[in-house]
This record gives sequence, C-alpha cells and structure tokens, in this order.
Amino acid sequence: MKQLPGFRSTGVTIQNNKKEQMKILKSVSLLLVTAFSFTTIKAQTADEIVNKHVEAIGGTENWKKVNSMIMTGTMSVQGMNLDVITTVLHNKGSRQDVNAMGMNNYQILTPTEGWNFFPIQGQQAPEAMTADDVKDGQSNLDAQGSLVDYKAKGHSVELIGKEEIDGTECHKLKLTLKSGKSETYFIDAKTFYVLRVVSVKKANGQEAELSTTLSNYQKLPEGVVVAMSISVPFGPGVNFDYSISKVEINKAIDESIFKPAK
Amino acid sequence: MKKIFSILILLLAGNTLLQAQINSSTFGMMEARYMGPGTMSGRITDIAGVNSDGKTLYIGTAGGGIWKSTNAGASFKPIFDKYIQSIGAIAIDQKNPKTVYVGTGESNMRNSVSIGDGLYKSTDGGDNWTKTGLDSTEHISKVMVDPNNSSVVYVAAPGPLWNNSKHRGLYKSTDAGKTWETILYISEKAGVADVEIDPTNSNVLYATSWEFRRLPYAFNSGGTGSGFYKSTDAGKTWKEVSNGLPKKPFGRVAIAIAPSAPQNLWAIVESESTGLYISADGGETWKQQSATSNITQRPFYFSTLEVDPKDPKRVYRPAFSFSYSSDGGYSFADASNEGGWVHSDHHALWINPNNTNIMYVGTDGGVYFSLDRGATWKFCNNLPVGQFYHVSTDNQQPYRMYGGLQDNGSWVAPSAAPGGVSNGNWQAIFGGDGFWTHPDPFDADIAYAEYQGGNMQRINIKQGTSIAIQPQAAAGDEKLRYNWNTPIVIGAKNKRNLYAAAQYLYKSTDRGANWVKISPDLTTNDKRKQEQEKSGGLSMDVTSAENHCTIFTIAESPLDENIIWVGTDDGNLQYTNDAGKTWTNVAANYAAAGIPKQTWVSSIEPSQFDANVVYATFDNHMYGDHQTYMAVSRDMGKTWKKFESKEFTGFAHKIKEDFVNKNLLFAGTEMGLFASVDGGNEWFRMKSNLPWYALVRDIKIQEQTNDLVLATHGRGIIIVEDISPMRNINSTVAAQDVALLNNKPITLTMGKYAGGFPNASGDWNGGLPSTITPLQYYLKERANNILMEVYDKDGKLVQKLSPSNRKGYNKVMWNQRSNPPKTAKGGNQMEQAGFLAPQVMPGDYTIKLKVNGKEHTQTVKLVHDATNKDFTMQDRELQYKTGQELFAMNERLATLVDSINTTQSMLKKHMDSTKNKKTKTLLQDYWNKLEEFRLTLVPPVMKGTGDLKRLRSDISDAYTAVVGQEAKPSNLQLQRVAALKTELSKAVQKNQELKQQFEKKVTDAINKEMPKRPEVNKQMKN
Repeated sequence: MKQLPGFRSTGVTIQNNKKEQMKILKSVSLLLVTAFSFTTIKAQTADEIVNKHVEAIGGTENWKKVNSMIMTGTMSVQGMNLDVITTVLHNKGSRQDVNAMGMNNYQILTPTEGWNFFPIQGQQAPEAMTADDVKDGQSNLDAQGSLVDYKAKGHSVELIGKEEIDGTECHKLKLTLKSGKSETYFIDAKTFYVLRVVSVKKANGQEAELSTTLSNYQKLPEGVVVAMSISVPFGPGVNFDYSISKVEINKAIDESIFKPAK
Repeated sequence: MKKIFSILILLLAGNTLLQAQINSSTFGMMEARYMGPGTMSGRITDIAGVNSDGKTLYIGTAGGGIWKSTNAGASFKPIFDKYIQSIGAIAIDQKNPKTVYVGTGESNMRNSVSIGDGLYKSTDGGDNWTKTGLDSTEHISKVMVDPNNSSVVYVAAPGPLWNNSKHRGLYKSTDAGKTWETILYISEKAGVADVEIDPTNSNVLYATSWEFRRLPYAFNSGGTGSGFYKSTDAGKTWKEVSNGLPKKPFGRVAIAIAPSAPQNLWAIVESESTGLYISADGGETWKQQSATSNITQRPFYFSTLEVDPKDPKRVYRPAFSFSYSSDGGYSFADASNEGGWVHSDHHALWINPNNTNIMYVGTDGGVYFSLDRGATWKFCNNLPVGQFYHVSTDNQQPYRMYGGLQDNGSWVAPSAAPGGVSNGNWQAIFGGDGFWTHPDPFDADIAYAEYQGGNMQRINIKQGTSIAIQPQAAAGDEKLRYNWNTPIVIGAKNKRNLYAAAQYLYKSTDRGANWVKISPDLTTNDKRKQEQEKSGGLSMDVTSAENHCTIFTIAESPLDENIIWVGTDDGNLQYTNDAGKTWTNVAANYAAAGIPKQTWVSSIEPSQFDANVVYATFDNHMYGDHQTYMAVSRDMGKTWKKFESKEFTGFAHKIKEDFVNKNLLFAGTEMGLFASVDGGNEWFRMKSNLPWYALVRDIKIQEQTNDLVLATHGRGIIIVEDISPMRNINSTVAAQDVALLNNKPITLTMGKYAGGFPNASGDWNGGLPSTITPLQYYLKERANNILMEVYDKDGKLVQKLSPSNRKGYNKVMWNQRSNPPKTAKGGNQMEQAGFLAPQVMPGDYTIKLKVNGKEHTQTVKLVHDATNKDFTMQDRELQYKTGQELFAMNERLATLVDSINTTQSMLKKHMDSTKNKKTKTLLQDYWNKLEEFRLTLVPPVMKGTGDLKRLRSDISDAYTAVVGQEAKPSNLQLQRVAALKTELSKAVQKNQELKQQFEKKVTDAINKEMPKRPEVNKQMKN
C-alpha cells in the first residue's frame, strides 16, 4: 500500500467537523492509523538511509573486502556499440578502456596523476590530465563506492529531504567528499538502491553538471549488489548507456596498467 | 456521513485505485522547449553578486524565478523551478556566500504584479532551498544580512497589495532566519518598503514605511502610514525622521547609504513635492536637491537608488532610464545609448565592490552590464524571462509562434530553425506592452497586434507596414473603455470573423477595415469603477492599466459562429446564439456554483465537441482572493460545476480543451500548469520539465504537431512537445504493468533542421523539436532491468536501443536505422561510414520490450512519406539498394584489411623469431609488399590532423552521401559506386595475387623451421 497524502488531510477535515460524527470517525481514524502507520514513522536521518542503502547493496562487511573490480560491458548509442572495460584497484588506480572498432581509447587515473588517450578523436599520444581533473576524479578510485564506510573515508553526508526522480520517490542526500567535492545521491525510498547521482564538475574555473542514472542491480557471488546499467543523458529521448555484462571482484591487477603505454 | 463512506470505499479499494492513478509524474518524460526569446527579456527585480569572486550572480525576476550565473553572465541557469516564480529580493551572506536568502513576491506594484509565499533560504549556493517563514507577506522589497553578524537578517515587506493585512512591516531574525520578529509595524495598510544598515555600526538602521493599495480600477500610493524611520538600537526603538524632508503624507520612499561614508544618505521621497533629498549627518537633517524627472518620476515603480561601494560621491539612480552622479547627487547624467539601447524601466543594480567599474542593471527587458561605471551598457541576451500575455500559432511548417509581452511589444518566430530557434529568429512586429497577437488565418504575411488600451493594428510582417484598426466610438456611444489587455480574437468556427471589444463587442469580416458593433454594453457599467483619471495617489499614474468595466475575453463557438461568449473584468459572462442580436448574462449562474460575483472572467473555452458545453476561468485576485476558480457548464451556462483540486494554486488565467480527446483539459494559473485526463474530475500539476509554479497566461495546442504552446509571464514561450501520450494513457492503459503505445504508423524521416551555425553570439537557444517519432511505452512501476530491440519482419535484429525505465510515460528515440557498417582499420581516425547506418525500408517492425525479464511486443508500421514529391518510393528503393551495396563494400574492404593485418602480424612474429637470414628476407619481402598494398586501401598513421584519402575513405564518402540523404542517388553517385566496386574487386584480386606469389614459399620456409605449427597454414587461408 502506498502513501496517500490526500486521505490524511481529508481525515483531518472531518475531525474538525461536527461532533456527532465522532463515533464513526473513531473507527475510521483507527483504520487510517493502521493503514498509514508506516508513513508516519519519524523522519529518517542521513545515517539511517546510508546504512539501509549499504545493507541493500550487500553490507559493509562484503564491500570492505572489495579491493579491485573489473567491469566489462558495452556502451551503446543509436546502434553504435563500444566495448568498455573499467578497472579499479582500490585507492591505487582506475582505468577505462573504450574500444571503438579496433581503436583502443583509455583514461587512467591514479591518486596523483591521470591521462587521457582518445585516438578516436585524433589524439596521437596520451595527454596528462590537469591537476583539477585529477582531484575531481578521485572518487573513481574507490572500488567500494563513496557511501560504504563513508565516515572513515572522511566524507560527510547531509539529508536534504525527499524528491521524486522519474516518478520514483527518493531520499536526497548530499555527500561531501573528503576532497571537498560534493555529489547529490537520490536513493530509492523503497529499494534503497541509488537511482541517480548528480555531480558538479568544477575545474579551471568552470562548472559542468553530470547526471548518472543507475539500474539493473544484481547480486554478485561475493555478496555485493552492483548496478549493471549506467545511463547518462545524451539528448531528448536518447541516453548513453553503459551496459555491464561481467563484473570481476578482487582479480589480481597489474599496477603497470595505470601508466600510459609508451 | 457520505464523506466518511467514500473514504472507507477508497481505503478498501485504495491499492488498485492508487496504482492506476495518473498524476504529475506520469508524463514527466515529455519534453519542454524554452523558446525564450532572449532578445527581449523580462522584468528583473533584483540582482545579487558574491563580492569575493565578482562572477557569481543571482538574478531575481518578476515571473521567471531566480537565474544563477557562475561566470559573470556568460551563461545563466534557473535555480528556483520548484517554487514561486515572482521574486522580490535576494540577499547573500557575504561572509558565507553559499548562504542565500530569497524574499518571494515582487514589490514593483504595477497592475500585473504577482505575489510570493514568503522567504526561502539556501546554504549551498541555490542547489537546495527551504522555506523559512513570512508566508503571508506576498510582497518583499528587500532582504539584508547584517554585514557584521550573519545571524541577523532583516526583511522589508510592503505586504499585500489588494487587501488589508497584518503581514507587513520590517521583520528581524537573530537566528539566521529560523524565527522572525516584527520590529517595525505601522498598520494593515502600510508596510515597509526600504531598509538600510550602517555598515560601520550595525545598530543604526534606516527604514521607510509605505501605504499603498490597488483596486481593480484604481491605484493609490501614499497616506499617513508612509514615513521615514531611524533606529540606533538595531530596531528595538524607532524615531521618525522629518527635519528637512517634505510635508507628509509621503508615498514610497527609496533610500541609499554611502558604504564608504555612511553618514551620507540619499532619499527619493514621493510626496506633494516629490524630490531627491540628501543628508550628511546620518539622516538627522535633510536638504532637497533639484533633480531631473528621471530621478523623481513614478516612485512607486522605480525604487532603486545606489551609491558606489568605494566612492561616496558616485550615486546611481536606475529608474525610467539610468542616471549617475559624480558629485554626490547634485547633478546627474544619463547613460549613453552608444553600443546599444538600454531598455527602460530599471529596478535593480549590483556593483562589484572590488571593481566598481563593473555593474549589472536589471530592467523591464532583462539584464545589462557596464564596464565603465554605468556610462555604456551591453545586453545579456541569454535570459529567457519574457512575460507573455497571450500566444497564437499558425499552420506553417514549421509553425510560427506569435505573442505579446509586458513592456516588450509583440513578436513572431518559427517554432524550429536550423541549429535551434535563437534570438535572431524572432521578429518584432509591434511595440508598447504587447498582448493578443494573431496570424491572419488566410494570409501568412498578415498579423494583428496591439499595445495597451486597445491600440490595435493590422500588420504586414513582410513589408513592415501597419494600419490602425481600433474600433472607434460612434455617435451616441459612451466613451469607449478598452482594457489594458484588450481582446482581439479570430473566430474559432469562421476564421474570417475578427472580434475586438471595449464595453461593446465589435466584429469585422474584412480584417478590421470595417467593424460592426454587435452588442450593447456587456459590462456592469458601474460608474464608481470608472474614475481612472484620479488614479495614482500622490503621483498621478494614468496608463490605461486601471481601465475597468471592459470586455476582457471573447470566444466564438468552434461549432457555430452564431454562438459567441463574452466575459468582462467586472463579472459578467454573456452569450449570444444569434451572432449578437440578443445577449444572455449568466453571471448569476456561475456565482451559484460558488464563484465570487465580480471576478474577471479571464478565459472562456466553448467545447469543440458539444455546443452546449463551455469552460471558463475566473480571476478574483484584485479583491485579495488568490483562489483558483474554474468551472464547466454543460447547458449553455445555466448551471455550472466548479472544478476542485488540492493541487490548484494561483488564480486562473486559462482553460483549454484538447481537440482530440474531450476529457483532456489543461489549465494555466498564476502558479502553475494543470491537466486533467478525465474531463476535470481529477487534476494534477504538470511538472514535465516545467517550472512547477510557472505563470501560465495562455495555452494553445498546435494541430499538426500536437504541441502544447504556453505563454508564460516570466519564462517566455514554452513548448511542451507532442501531448498525444496524454490522450492515450487513460486509466485502462495506466492499470497495465507495461503498455507499448505506438499505435499509429510512423513516417520514415531522417529529421529536419540540421545545419545551423554554432551559437556564436551566446544568445538564448530554444533547441530543436524531435522530428523523428519516438518509440513510446508506459511502465506502471520503475523497471530495474529493461531492454528494447527492433526486429524486421524476417525476425532479424535491426537495432538494440537504450530505453529509459521511469515510472509512467517513456520514450526512446530510434533513428529508424540499422547498425553502421564495419570499416577497415587504419589511419588516425574512424571513417564517417562507421558512425552512419542505413535507414530501414518501410514495413512492419517488431518492438520487443523486455521489462524485468518479461517480454512485451508490438508491431510498428513504418511508412514512406507519400507527400514528399522529391523522394518517391522508387527513389527510396534505389537509394536503399545503392546504400546496401556500399554498406557491403565497406565491410568487404574491412575484411580484406583484417586479412592483410593478420598475415602481416604473423609474418612479423616469425621475422622476429627466425634466425635464418633467407627466411627473414622472404618474410620481410612479403610483409613489405602487403604494406605497400595496404596503404593503397587505408591511410597510414601519421603525425598531424586528418587522414590521407585512400580507397576506404572513397567508399565511406560515397556511402555516407547516399545513405545520409532522403534522395535518389545521382547519376554520378551511381557511376562512382560502380567504379569503386571495380577498384575493390581489383584489390581483392591483388591480395590473391600476392598470396599466390608468396604463400607457398613462406609456409614452406616457416614449416621447415618450425614443423610443429600446422595452424600457420590454416591462418594464411583467411
């Protein structure tokens, strides 16, 4: 049974009406109270919501065991398919390889450096990222996601309230990362999965908003639940979709991949 | 008893009923395009900048919310779209510049001013807002944070305009907005208009009170409640300041303090001798200074006075025009129009305190900035906050939008243009305040427009000529009373009929050249409401804005031109069913349904399905009643049913019935757009990418595109694209878990409005409409896992799509193409062909939608556009066939190059490992021959930009030319295909020849060395 805001206020109106209706009202309001008891529970705190979220995606314990993650999938837009492999070694490096018709493009990020190499755009050699971009991308090095054990990681969370995202009621949380960067999380009020993350990229005196929608959550043998579909708006009715077919957890990763090829 | 019973029923049935409910979120995926324009903007009410960075700006508007720039005005984003759009004042806590206070409800108290609902606060630079009190003040003129104590905030609230109220005065919070105390209260008639803090001593405050009132037919500024006050104990006690000021009563008083020398104050005091007054002793004594009319005129509307943050002699008076003084206010100069005209009527000024040459002024037509202390100005052409009153559309392709704006004339623009509709696509066709603007239904060059008070003209858009067509009083007529916003209407049934009205209704069948009066005075003709010449209060203000007892709305029945409905601004609702011979007033009947009697009848919508059915909206806000009044009559106005909804906010401007589904209704109010899909029983707020509380003045549904076109009073024209999903998703559809919605054939198209130059001028761009029909579906609940695939009639996969998974209506764009060909590897970049797939042929396609593992299918018919004479079905067949040939050629070349690459890498491997010199030479020789050959097919990797043209690019170029257009391939394109085909065949042949020449020798040599590698042979057969 879902929340029905209209009913409760109607009940209030009646209570304010004539006294002779009180008797019937009593039974009605009893029913109302039963029916809506779970909507009247006290407001949840940011911590409660984060805890429920982490529980929903497999629990802190399972996530804290995650040291590396390799996600294999395809990105597609309007019939164009690109093979994408994302590799994260917890707090050491992340690398995204995008294969477009035989051309390998990549982005590498470490705690101190980063490189972009997109020959598909005519680039002929890897280019170092700016210090701002490196700083901005640091949350990508967290293989466990920023919300798992967030306090220990030096992040803070503020509950903004509830907001409807694409018709689904969500808790809106503002996560301020240790680096000072903030991200807004919309957590589905029913499933406690993250439905959307909105971040503002600030670099070189400029700001750009990035909105990422997550779905197709699946439980892996390691006990963690991950979104297998990541979607970024690309235009009216068109999304840039990253559909993940395979996730490997804690596979050994050679750290040399976090340096650009010579 | 009945009520309780219905609650019980609802409760028991709750679950199913609820889930089938169609509400605000159902249609959240419908697109809205903000057409602006930015070429004329709208009224700006306040500008606040972050002192420490000089580039973060907050712009408050009269009806378009708040716009934030983080780059000194290069771009702006709306940041207040979920709240009231009328902004009174903005204040930044400069010590914590992420903290921003916004007082809603503008205080430039003109006739069309909107209201607010209190004070809002953000602590994260406007990302999130919370309401923090003062809900009933309606109008807030200033918010100030104590520069020395962030916890102390002052709010000056003139308060409600149309009625007495206790919710006005000067409010103070000492806990950063959590709680409020009234520290200066005058009366239910007088609020506080201005406040200043001495920046060097926060205990010293100056405030001015203001008594004012509007009635629907009069305005008064001034009274015993107006005064000038000073406090030296942070607002605990006040004394009235009068020494040297004019004799009371005052009207509105604007004050300014010199931040760098706060003993110096300036005041513009509206009174019997309105003037500029200067004090050099902290307001204790004042001296009048002679000043030009720009300094002193219309004080109720122009209340801005500012002093340079560093230079106490530099005084600014943004008013009708922009004046500045360099000698402490003794003399003023006016800004130059060099480099661009500055829109008149100024209400806001922000001066960058760290570089006082830089300033931003807010006018009735947008924001301008100056880099030379206000002497010259440049327009910010990227703020789409125009205040339209009405909108019309025509049937051209693309259709055009016509509309009139507050203070900004009448304009026309196409709804689509290459690169998107930008400022340059808009054409001004008439001046003044613009209202009704219509295209002539029979002549695309002709439009009708007007300025305030019924000054209407017929305009030749092409020639730029116009003819006055305002109906004149005949002998025996009373003096004509034209509303500020005089109706000009084209017949809904007979489009040759043109109507206009004063207190009488006029009809013309020759485009306004000649008129026939077809009614008596249809108003109440109450003489007490017709004393407009006395309007204004202390300062005369007669602008036609208060004209009353006039006809405000006219509607001809779409089913019968003899039925005409007329609504007046004083409560009459009348109809004729004999083209004006006799009239029936049904005012008493709607009043019987619970709608106040004297309301403005703001719109009338006779049904397109039943001549007895009529919808109407009623606006009573000028009597202090902001409720939403809308009703329907199904018996020619005899009885009325008032529409009720908890969702409603704001007084009603417009109700619109869909022309396809009679149960689909739209309503625009001062605070939102609402829709009903069940004939008005249930309403919901439209939030489909719209500001939730947009001031929606007028609504049209364009017939070819099914676009909902909105005239908003603060966000320009907004087009909600294609509302047909709202016709199709009824309660039956909404009860299903998944419903595929493409029930009609889809016309094949590659889209329109490509091209266009990048937006070099940085102006506002309304974007492009979707010209390819999307695939549409409904989901009762958000899907965790969703896939969509398109199959052709043979069951072959055509394309995999990326569908959205939201609850409610969804759409996904299928480009009506399959997948692009594989192109040969090599060179620096990918060929264009690798990005472009051929368009599919007409026919049946199966859409497979997999939601959480369950498959749903629908067959969609794609059809050829038979109306396109330039691209016949035969043309399409040839184009498709040629495209397929070229597609195959791209892939054949790719296979060939792959095979060469494979051989080369095999050769390379053995070259590196062999120790036999002869073998090495042989392998190298083959490799070299292949390399030489390969580089005739694909370009080499080179340093620099671009690629050399080789066979791959030749095939790609021919392919993209053919499949990228809706046209028959040309003779030379066809010949080119044949030639390239030969070339490709030769290349395949050449590879064979090289193979023959080397294969055996190479295999033997390698096998001799490494006999245990039989796979070599296998590989080389590729």
